[in-house]
Amino acid sequence: GVLAHLERLEAQARESALKQEEKEQQEQKLAGLKARVQELRARRDELRAKLERQQKGILEKEGVETDAEQPSARAVLEWKIRSMKDLLQLFYLTGISGKLTKRGVCFCISTAYEGTYLHSYYLDVLTKPEVQIQRHSVPTFIPLEQIARKHLQTDIRRFLAVLSDHLNAYAGRRYQADQLQERFSDRLEGTLQRNSLCNLLVFHYNISGHSRSFLFSAKLLYSDLCCSLPTEAIVSCTPNAPGELAEMAAAHSETFRRLALHKAFDSFSKAEVTQD
Amino acid sequence: MENNVYKVYEDEIQLLEEEIKLLAGKYDDLKQESTFYSDEEILTSIKLFQKEFQGESKGECPSDLKAQLESLEREMSFLMKFTGIHFTSHSKKTLEKHENRTVQKHRLSGNCHSLPFQLEFQLLETQSKENVSAVITDFNVKMESEEYSDLSKFVSSTEKHGNLLLFFRSLSSYAEWYEHRRCTFLHFKVLFIEL
Repeated sequence: GVLAHLERLEAQARESALKQEEKEQQEQKLAGLKARVQELRARRDELRAKLERQQKGILEKEGVETDAEQPSARAVLEWKIRSMKDLLQLFYLTGISGKLTKRGVCFCISTAYEGTYLHSYYLDVLTKPEVQIQRHSVPTFIPLEQIARKHLQTDIRRFLAVLSDHLNAYAGRRYQADQLQERFSDRLEGTLQRNSLCNLLVFHYNISGHSRSFLFSAKLLYSDLCCSLPTEAIVSCTPNAPGELAEMAAAHSETFRRLALHKAFDSFSKAEVTQD
Repeated sequence: MENNVYKVYEDEIQLLEEEIKLLAGKYDDLKQESTFYSDEEILTSIKLFQKEFQGESKGECPSDLKAQLESLEREMSFLMKFTGIHFTSHSKKTLEKHENRTVQKHRLSGNCHSLPFQLEFQLLETQSKENVSAVITDFNVKMESEEYSDLSKFVSSTEKHGNLLLFFRSLSSYAEWYEHRRCTFLHFKVLFIEL
């Protein structure tokens, strides 16, 4: 009786001690978090005020607020270093840039479709004992060896220009095919078939008119590897389709040869709207 | 229940830390972009900097900053010589800066071989999990010289589509051809005079 009772009391005491400890830990943690929030809020408010003063100062042409009256020599140099890094980064926007390496140059060819920059490709070129490509990230279906054989030893700038033309045309073709799949998936019937070089595309698409929908099939061939428009566009419709459709197919073929793929489809959509 | 209370504070801490990072970045950007030091001021600073640290060894060694500058200048000089594109002035303004999205306005002038150019464009950079994507908008080219009359149609088309890369690639080959033509013309001119 008594022993059991004592044991129970002991157990209760331990339990309440543990609970008390737990409660204190939680309170401490909470206090810590609260303090951190206060600290961060203060820092954030300080930065906001600093930014406001800075913007006001610039507007009033009083100059930028600095800690000292005159910028230190170090600050000036750090400004120049950052300014040069910013400018060097812009070179990739021009299409051909590079970095000097111990044994040569690592060139970077950037690609873009209109205003959108796409993938960049790298070539590690050694200049001694003779100009050679040590490493590169150019895909295998681009005729790199052929272009190198023709130009690399005689005119490296020309080599890079020709390679850039190939890569940009490939990137442009790929971009157009991707755009077609992304933006006009409701028009495509089945999958768009393409090869790795994206210079052969086969797809089926539907056009609606006069409250009916017609299926066309297209085969686009880009035999000029430096061009992102097809040299041949074969468009056909189902064999027993009405006559006007043959005219439409011919018109589409011409459109595909003249406009980028996704822009061609934009024009089809517009034509449909005006028709109905 | 306690976990919920913690989470509220922890979430706010995360938000505050992100905001602080963004604000500090904005301050630095604005400071960088609204300052300009001429080449003379840079040279003076280099000399001053080396004097300041003679005998002291506080923080970064003067030779480190100087070496960094020299290495950047070498890279710049190589690229400009190789591509024929010389940038003579550049100003940048950060219009928008979020966690994974930055919009900057750039003003760039220079010459490509002997042809001068002046450009303005907006650059939108978006950071995704795999990479950074860049898109050009509001691309404007200012060219007044008569050499560009052949190019004006082409230039307007690149402006319309924000085709900065094509502008540079084409300007580069046109400038080379133009240079070649000018040299050839001069060569024949001289020949004629001699005759």
